[in-house]
Amino acid sequence: MQLARSLKRLVPLVLILVITLTACSSASSKYDQVQDDTTGSTAPAAVDKTAKKGGTFNQFFPEAAGDYAVVPSQEKQGFAEYKLKRDGETVAMLSINDTISLPAAAAKYENATTMVAGFPSVVQGSTATGLLVNDRYQVKVLSRDASFTEADRAAWLEKFDLQGLAQLEADTKAFRKAQKTAAPAIRITPPNSEPETVPTLVPQPAG
Amino acid sequence: MSKKIYEKVDKLPKGGLTVMALNSLDKFVPGQWENLVGFDHTIKQVTGETDEAMVQAIAERAIALFNDKSQGYQRALWMYESVDSASGLLGAAAMANRIGQDTFLGFLKNISPKPEKAQTVDLVVKLVTEVVAFCHINGIPGDSLGDFLSALGDYGGESLMRMAALVSFDGVIPLGADFSGKALNLIKGMGPSDLDNNPTFKGVKEEIPGGNAKGKLSFMTESFESTKGWMDKFVSDKGITQSNVVDNLSGFVEGSKSKLDYLGAFLDVSVKYYEHTGVQTLARRLIERSVAEL
Repeated sequence: MQLARSLKRLVPLVLILVITLTACSSASSKYDQVQDDTTGSTAPAAVDKTAKKGGTFNQFFPEAAGDYAVVPSQEKQGFAEYKLKRDGETVAMLSINDTISLPAAAAKYENATTMVAGFPSVVQGSTATGLLVNDRYQVKVLSRDASFTEADRAAWLEKFDLQGLAQLEADTKAFRKAQKTAAPAIRITPPNSEPETVPTLVPQPAG
Repeated sequence: MSKKIYEKVDKLPKGGLTVMALNSLDKFVPGQWENLVGFDHTIKQVTGETDEAMVQAIAERAIALFNDKSQGYQRALWMYESVDSASGLLGAAAMANRIGQDTFLGFLKNISPKPEKAQTVDLVVKLVTEVVAFCHINGIPGDSLGDFLSALGDYGGESLMRMAALVSFDGVIPLGADFSGKALNLIKGMGPSDLDNNPTFKGVKEEIPGGNAKGKLSFMTESFESTKGWMDKFVSDKGITQSNVVDNLSGFVEGSKSKLDYLGAFLDVSVKYYEHTGVQTLARRLIERSVAEL
């Protein structure tokens, strides 16, 4: 009897605990929507399969000069990045990416009022300066140290082989199609794009 | 259900044994590691960006990149997680083996690998995991082998801390100061069956290049041999010795000085440094790519 009474009192407590725990475990995040949009069998790929291989871009990066070293950092499909180091410290990141995967990245240059080396250029946020080649290839310099100023970024943008990069194909059929169909946001490729491919055994270049 | 990279970073522990063990290595790699926790916070620290809309855009692109399986990030995460949880099993096995040596239950030796051999496989598998996960995350940057090696050699922050922990906790503590020579000799004397019985190897073997256990063993031996020089230099440059690693740990692992094999097993079971710093490396690289692509 005594036990039954104790149990009776316990039940509401347990219920409250269960409800609280359930609520905690399903705590929402401002990123849940993008998580839902980018997972599952119908989710679009983040990187367009026609994007140029990252290795294609290596030849257009600046060489080391003076106190500066240029160290390879990432090479993925449609993307290559190098660190710019001075006295062993990373002062900036240098990158080239194929905006076929992210048309919104190219679109921001439509209203550019500045030109660097003859290409439309914009300052983005507080640390980045970019330019766009052939309406498709974005070249960026991103400060990682307060001493590396906006003027430094513009100077290093000019050190890329931009004319060489401009020789890469610009307005492919696939590019136009992707530009037309993609929403101007994070989500990029048409929903009927091919199934995701899984890379084979490593090591192998992902770009 | 798909893993949420933002949740993994948000839920990284701010304290506990893993964080304390990593902090104990700060003496060897001063100021290299800050325990970055929280996705937005990590974005701000990595990029220096403070504009909230920009931070959100960076986060959303990073999440999309992580969720695109073809980009390799999920495999890298799986490897960092698996190598830690599998080596925890090894710690338990090493404990059982120690009991076998000390007591009449000698038969336990038959079901547990010898600690040194098992520790060697553990060390080598973790090193190979690092190389393979690096390729999944970063691709193979640059145009030459020299470029690739300079990218690997440019380790800093949490990646360098992970290597310091590998060398200290999985090398110097269980195997002694000459751990790399000892491990290389042991691995060269091993056959495929030594690998098949090892939980750490089994945990990630699908991801290790090589058609069968023999091929994988040869890849592991070559990888270890080619990084041995780097590890030896790291140990001598940083002044890492068994006694000073243990001294640094003894603040929170009492009585560990006289029981080094127990300490190794204890660290295996309770310290998840590969997963912890692996999530941080992954987040950093995703964020660096995201902010550059936007």
